[in-house]
Order: sequence, then C-alpha cells, then structure tokens
Amino acid sequence: MEIALDTPVKTATPSRPRQRSKRRSMPMVVKLAYRNLFHDRLSFAVTIVGIVFSVVLVAVQTGIYLGSEKKISAILDAAPADLWIVPLGTKSYDDPSLLSGRERHMALSTPGVENAEDMVVSFAKWRKPEGGQTTILLVGSEQISDKPLPWNIEEGSREALNAPDTVAIDQSYFPDLGIKGVNNHAEINGVDIEVAATTRRIRSFTTLPFVFTSIENSRRLSGAEQNQATYERVLLAPGADPQKVKTEILARLPDVEVLTQDEFRKRSQSYWLFQTGAGAALIAGAVLGLIVGIVIVAQTLYSSTKDHINEFATLRALGAGAGYIVKVILMQAVLSGLIGFALGFILSLGVIEAAKDTKLTVIMTPQLASTLFAVTIGMCIFAAISAIVKVVRIDPAVVFSR
Amino acid sequence: MSPKPDSKVILEAQGIVKILGEEPNTVKVLKGIDLQLQTGELTLMMGPSGSGKTTLLSILGCILSPTAGKLSVAGQATQGMTAEGLANLRRKHVGFIFQGYNLVPTLTAVENIMLALDLRDQSGPDAYDIAADALEAVGLGHRINAAPSKMSGGEKQRVAIARALAGSPSVILADEPTAALDGKTAWPSWSFWRRSPRTPSAPCWL
Repeated sequence: MEIALDTPVKTATPSRPRQRSKRRSMPMVVKLAYRNLFHDRLSFAVTIVGIVFSVVLVAVQTGIYLGSEKKISAILDAAPADLWIVPLGTKSYDDPSLLSGRERHMALSTPGVENAEDMVVSFAKWRKPEGGQTTILLVGSEQISDKPLPWNIEEGSREALNAPDTVAIDQSYFPDLGIKGVNNHAEINGVDIEVAATTRRIRSFTTLPFVFTSIENSRRLSGAEQNQATYERVLLAPGADPQKVKTEILARLPDVEVLTQDEFRKRSQSYWLFQTGAGAALIAGAVLGLIVGIVIVAQTLYSSTKDHINEFATLRALGAGAGYIVKVILMQAVLSGLIGFALGFILSLGVIEAAKDTKLTVIMTPQLASTLFAVTIGMCIFAAISAIVKVVRIDPAVVFSR
Repeated sequence: MSPKPDSKVILEAQGIVKILGEEPNTVKVLKGIDLQLQTGELTLMMGPSGSGKTTLLSILGCILSPTAGKLSVAGQATQGMTAEGLANLRRKHVGFIFQGYNLVPTLTAVENIMLALDLRDQSGPDAYDIAADALEAVGLGHRINAAPSKMSGGEKQRVAIARALAGSPSVILADEPTAALDGKTAWPSWSFWRRSPRTPSAPCWL
C-alpha cells in the first residue's frame, strides 16, 4: 500500500508537482455510453446486425419504390409536356387506347398552345427471329420533337427510326426479344421490322418491353388511323396559363381528359403502386424492416441497461439527475444508430450497385439517404424508451444492499 | 474527533423515524434519531447487524426518505423535496463510499472520479487533473488508468474514497467502508481518515 501515513490528505492538490493535462477529453456521457456498449461485444454485435438489417431492408425497399416510381414515369419524364390530352378514363401511361384523331388540330387552335405532338402507345405481338412470341409495348413518337424518344442510345441512331419498319429496343430486353443487336430482324403484328438502334437502362415497370419507333411506323404497326394518337403532348406558349388552356381544350374536346405533366405522372404512379398493390407491398417491407430494427435495438438496449443497472443506481445515488442517466441511454442508442447506419448504408450502396444492370431498379438519392439517417436515429431513440423507463425507476437505495 | 469551534452544522436530523414494510408486518427500524454533524468532524457509528446503520446513512444521504422527523443538509430542509431535488442535494453536498465500492467497471480509476465530477458540472482537462490529484492523494497516482477489474479490494476502496473527495462535498457518508477488506488492507484507509484535515472547511465524515 502506497498511502503515505504521515502526509496530510489533500483533495485537489497533488502531493508532488504533476504536469497539467492539456488534452481535450470526450464528454463523460459519451464515454460511459460507448464503454457500456462495447463492454458486452456480443450484445453490441447483435444490436448492430439488427440495425444494419433494418437499414438495408428499408433502404432497398424504399429504393425499389423510388425506382418503380421512376420507371413508371420514365417516358413521361423523358418526353415531357405542359399538358397531356389522354383518352377518357386512362389509368396510366401504359394503359393505351386511341383518341378520335381530331385532338391535335383542336389543341393547336386553342389560344396559348404553341405545339402539339402525337404519341402512339399500343400493345403488340413481337415474334422472335428464332421463333416464339411475346407481347410488347410499342411507343411511337415524332422524331422532330424537341425531346424525342428514345434516349440513352447505345448503338445506331434515333434518325434511323425515320426509315420504315425500324425500331429501337433496350439492351436489357435482348434475351426476351431474341435479339442480339442492331440490324437484327423480327416481326411486330406480322410485319417484318429491323432493329435500328439500341438503348441502355430503359425498362418498363411491367414485364412488357418498350419498343420505340417513329409515329408513322407505330400507326402502321398498330393499325391506327392516319390522324389517330394515344396521347397528345401539348406544349404551351411562353406565359400561357396551363389551367386556362386546359379549360379551353376541355371545352373543345369534351370526350378526353387533359392532364398536367405532374397529374399524368402521379396518376400512372398511383395506378401501378397503389391500385395494383405493388407499392403497398414495398412500403410494408420497409415498415417491417423498421419494426424489426426497433424490436432488436429495444431488446438489446433494455438488456444492456439491466446489465448496468447497478452502475446507473450508483450514479443516481451520487446525485445524477434522471436527465443525466437518460442522456447516457440515449447516447448508447444514438451511437448504435450511427454505427449501424454507416455499415447498413455502405451495404445498401453495394446492393444498389449490384442491381444496376439487372431488371430491378433501386435508387438512392441524397434525400433518401438523409431521411434514412434520420429514421435510423429516430428508430434507435424510440427503441430506447423501454430502457429509459427502466432506468428512471431505479431506486438508488439498492447501492447500499450490494 | 471534534471539529474546530468555528465549524458549521452541515447535517441535522431531528426525531428521524423509519418504518419498513407494509401493515401489519412493519418494522420500526429507526425510533427517533437526533443527530447533528459539523464540518471537519469525523463521526463513527457502531451497532449490531440489523440495527439500522445503513438505513440511517441512506436517510442522511437523502437516498431514503424518513417516515417521520426532519432532516436538513447544508441548511436545506429535505422534507417535501422531489427525487430530483434530493439528487441535486446529494450531488452538491454529499459524497458516498459504499461497502461494495460501486465503481463503474467499464471506466478506469480516473474516469470513475471524472464521472462523479461530471455530475457536478466539472468536466474537461481540469476534471482530469482534479481526478488524477485525488487518486494521487490516496496513493494511487500510478494506477489512474487501471480498470476496477484489475485492482485489488484495497485499491478499489481508495478509488471510492478519491471519488467521494474529488467533488469537495460537505459531508462524506461511508457505509462499512472496510467491511470487504482484511485488517492489513483496511489499515491504510483508517489511517487516511484519521489523518484527514479537521479544519472548518473540511468535509464531515460519518
């Protein structure tokens, strides 16, 4: 024992000169929280696995949801319009039926309309070169448009689609359509066609492949009349009021619907994501991920708090307010959340990267990343409630019974 | 040991009664205790097991509330105080040395003391220096970074003493502080208390 019996006791003065500490130390609340966390490494590992699982599940499910939204509205976003004239009762972009044929001229004669372009969308039968057939969604648009379709051209050119019976398909659909590249031939509704261009990463939300062609080709291949179109893309003159023009068009064409770009996008997305239940399944998956995360974090935090209950009782006896102890528990939750989010996010980015060239579109945006971060931390804080309830009920008197 | 004449009363108990248990199986543990402790005073309490020493210590330390009687710490009456108010009083005026030491096992010796200082809003490099000085004062200057699991019973007890002293409390309550130690290990601690200052500004020991 080193106590110098003849040395008077000092509480704040060293018995010999000692160099003063200049280092910045970590706040004790943080130190105690991370030491408690790392003290039982197995329990900590379980917590982190739970959070990582939750983050990845929520990120991927939400990423698929956003990817689906993007895929559903991909063509609308690539070829936007100020107003869309669509057949009455159109559920989504790929729910095609034909307009009567007079819409373009009626639209062009409406004050405030600068231009109107036809777009023909129809289901068609695709016969593969080596036999077998599949249904496709044929999209015909005007190639002189400011924003012509398709985009992301890899091989061939958009201009090549002006030639009769030429189409463009996405590379990812080659196996489905029995095509190996440009210049390959197939049949659409019994008409021989040539693949004049290929694109990259233009996939439809459904299983039907998009096949792009010129407006003339699409009319011929789908059997539409010369003036008929599925949709009319209306471009407004600068300064024109969309609502006023919409009312004017509807007055002239009572048997159609006129939608703004946003309305058409949302109608298409809402149809596929909610009326078919696909989106609800994705949201349910994300919610399930959150619930799993909350349960695992709550269970391990509660267990950790029980393991350290005597230390918390000691703190209480030494005069720690409930707020101080709650801060330690919350800090444990936040530290778990930070570590779990970092690992889960990296893993999610890996999943997204791996899914890049597959049929699954998973999107990660800065907004989704920040929301996911907030949700993860919020989830961990919410999960800490049971541990907090336990800790604020500690009777400090137990320290005398140990 | 008696304090200097200019010492002030830091802890005053009048007619403290504590009844434990529920009717009809109640036990009257304390039957009207009157007590007055002054700064710089060392008071020893003796009694057989079950006589209520720990219960009285818990009440004097504002951890348990008495069934009847009045208690004031540093001039503040504790009657009617909330749990947070009592915690505040403990934090400001009372230091504890527990029979089982009650060190936080995940923190080092110096961190255990810094934690107690942190509760008193003393943090940062200054807190580290105060904690290290307190350890040095109890002869553990060379063990500041040792974890409690790597320390002997005597060392842990001295860390507990240093923790109680570091916040400069007005009163230090020690509950059978050497009960877990053998005579040889306990001797330095007894010597430490025997030689601790008896000035009016020094804490009162019970």
